[in-house]
Amino acid sequence: MALSGGCSGGSNESGERKKDSEKPIIALLPKSKGNAYFLSCKSGAERAAAELGVELIYDGPVSTDPAKQNEIIENWITLEVDGIAVACENRAGISTALRKAQKAGIPVITFDSDAEADARSFFVNQATPEGIGYTLMDEAARLMEGKGRFAIITGSLTAANMNAWQEKIEERRSEKYSDIEMVALRPCDDLKDKAQQEATTLLSAYSDLDLIMAICSPAVPGAAEAVKQAGKGGKVKVIGLGLPSENRAYVHEGITQSVILWKTEDLGYLTIQAASRLLKGELTPGTEALEVEGMGTFPIEGDNILLGKPFIFNAANIDNFDF
Amino acid sequence: MKTTANIFKRHSYREIWLRAEALLALALILEVILFTLYGRRFSTWDNWMNILRHSAEIGLLAVALTPVIWTGGIDLSVGSTLGLSAVAFGQLWRDAGMDPWLAGVASVGVGTICGAINGALIVWIRIPPLIVTLGTYSLFRGFAEALAKGVDTFTGFPEGFLWIGSGQWLGIPVQIWIFSCVALMYVTADWKTVLGRNWKAIGCSEQAAYLSGINIQKYVFSAYLMAGTVAGIAAITYSSRLGSIKADAGFGYELLAITAVGLGGVRLSGGKGSVLGATLGVLALGILNNGLGRTPLTMNYSSELGGVLTGALLIGAIALSVRRGSP
Repeated sequence: MALSGGCSGGSNESGERKKDSEKPIIALLPKSKGNAYFLSCKSGAERAAAELGVELIYDGPVSTDPAKQNEIIENWITLEVDGIAVACENRAGISTALRKAQKAGIPVITFDSDAEADARSFFVNQATPEGIGYTLMDEAARLMEGKGRFAIITGSLTAANMNAWQEKIEERRSEKYSDIEMVALRPCDDLKDKAQQEATTLLSAYSDLDLIMAICSPAVPGAAEAVKQAGKGGKVKVIGLGLPSENRAYVHEGITQSVILWKTEDLGYLTIQAASRLLKGELTPGTEALEVEGMGTFPIEGDNILLGKPFIFNAANIDNFDF
Repeated sequence: MKTTANIFKRHSYREIWLRAEALLALALILEVILFTLYGRRFSTWDNWMNILRHSAEIGLLAVALTPVIWTGGIDLSVGSTLGLSAVAFGQLWRDAGMDPWLAGVASVGVGTICGAINGALIVWIRIPPLIVTLGTYSLFRGFAEALAKGVDTFTGFPEGFLWIGSGQWLGIPVQIWIFSCVALMYVTADWKTVLGRNWKAIGCSEQAAYLSGINIQKYVFSAYLMAGTVAGIAAITYSSRLGSIKADAGFGYELLAITAVGLGGVRLSGGKGSVLGATLGVLALGILNNGLGRTPLTMNYSSELGGVLTGALLIGAIALSVRRGSP
């Protein structure tokens, strides 16, 4: 009961706020404000906001202060924004502030990284383990022409998300590509240097290796550098999950064939689309799909709105993306 | 010499007040007017309470740093002390199954021990405060990270404990009461006891203070000890406000607190300034960051502009006080 008191004063005056701005305000909170990944989400969000006639506020931490995201949310509550969309840095911490927003009647959705389920209505999920795993395996198989040997470099053997991806990779391989063999799974501790070392070891240990798949982002350029230095560029192919910007040079050199990630601009666009419908009441629990003009239909599983299959960046399209 | 003599005159408070604090108060009023005019829903009760709630921890640290800085010292470890106390609280409550209130008291004790370590190294081993607290800045944070194994998050606190961080008493957020009590204690120590006068005398001239019979070791030690205790209290309000604890709690808060103290007209080389000034400094920063985030013109750049303006304000304030002859 003590919690609700802090927010009650403002609601009496909500009629007054509408004079300030007739457009609904949706506030978008990234994990960190200047990060190229989130700036790209922002440009998609801006496009959606312009189309929907929504005012967009984009603000986030620029420092490493872990309390900053909470403070921004609490300020948005007293600003009486109409909707909040958040990529959560600290799941448990931010949920405290998000529940407060919900209590004040502000709809909350999360994107990129989720909060606790009771602290938001929907999560715009950019990639399911199945989406990531299957796309990686299909792309590997395409490059290997259906047969050969490959090795995986992962972040750590204990990271839950990467283990889930790896399971899906294996599931796809055993179902569809019986002529392909996975020969090794090596951790790189999320370090580029370590990934490069591991890749160098793999190259000498398996002289008939056809492809290295890196499933944590520092490992993609790490593996590429190892292949390049071993003089095996093009012979041993490299694919992985990472940012286009970190891999652009290797892709153009023909060392790395494909980089896989979701389109971050679409993620921002869909987030604002979903938030706008949520506050109009068009998106409610039980809604099964979200239709967006010009982009298609996005399925909803439970309270997760799925962005769909990851996108494959290669030499032909990588220059169109700047994150 | 002149400044040393001034310290012992009763009306010197008024002189100081007329210099730094009055100027800051003016700047504060200007901020409020501008944000009320141009900001959205700035001057609402809820928003004022938000500003105060968000300023509570920096305020506690700034008030506790004031005597440390009076003595001519510095404490860079208060943010890390906050982090270590918070993690200690989390472990005592969750892992050791302690009652949250008891764990809270124990974690304030952890902060006090941190302060005592700083004080002992400075007073008895005679290492300069900057070096000692730069060392303990890493040391305490390192302990916190080791205890929390880097990634452990403590959450799911009982409703009663969360009340400190998000509840109210008589319509005022609980942590503002806590801050006010601590600040009042420091103001009393300054105005009504010899503590404040002796702290400042040490900062003006350690030799003169020593010759006038002040037990320098006792007073310097007490300033650091108390800073540790208050950082422990700040750990409680911080954990309760966020509803979760990680090893990075309070990261960078020492610099924000020192900025507020400097902005509040406390001379960073020691000997001069007031608790009230430091509090005004905290308020000025809190209002600035909040207001920028709700003014349409600055809304999308509030974090960046906040940093730039804070820096400019601090340098401006110090430059003005140098020109007026009270650096």
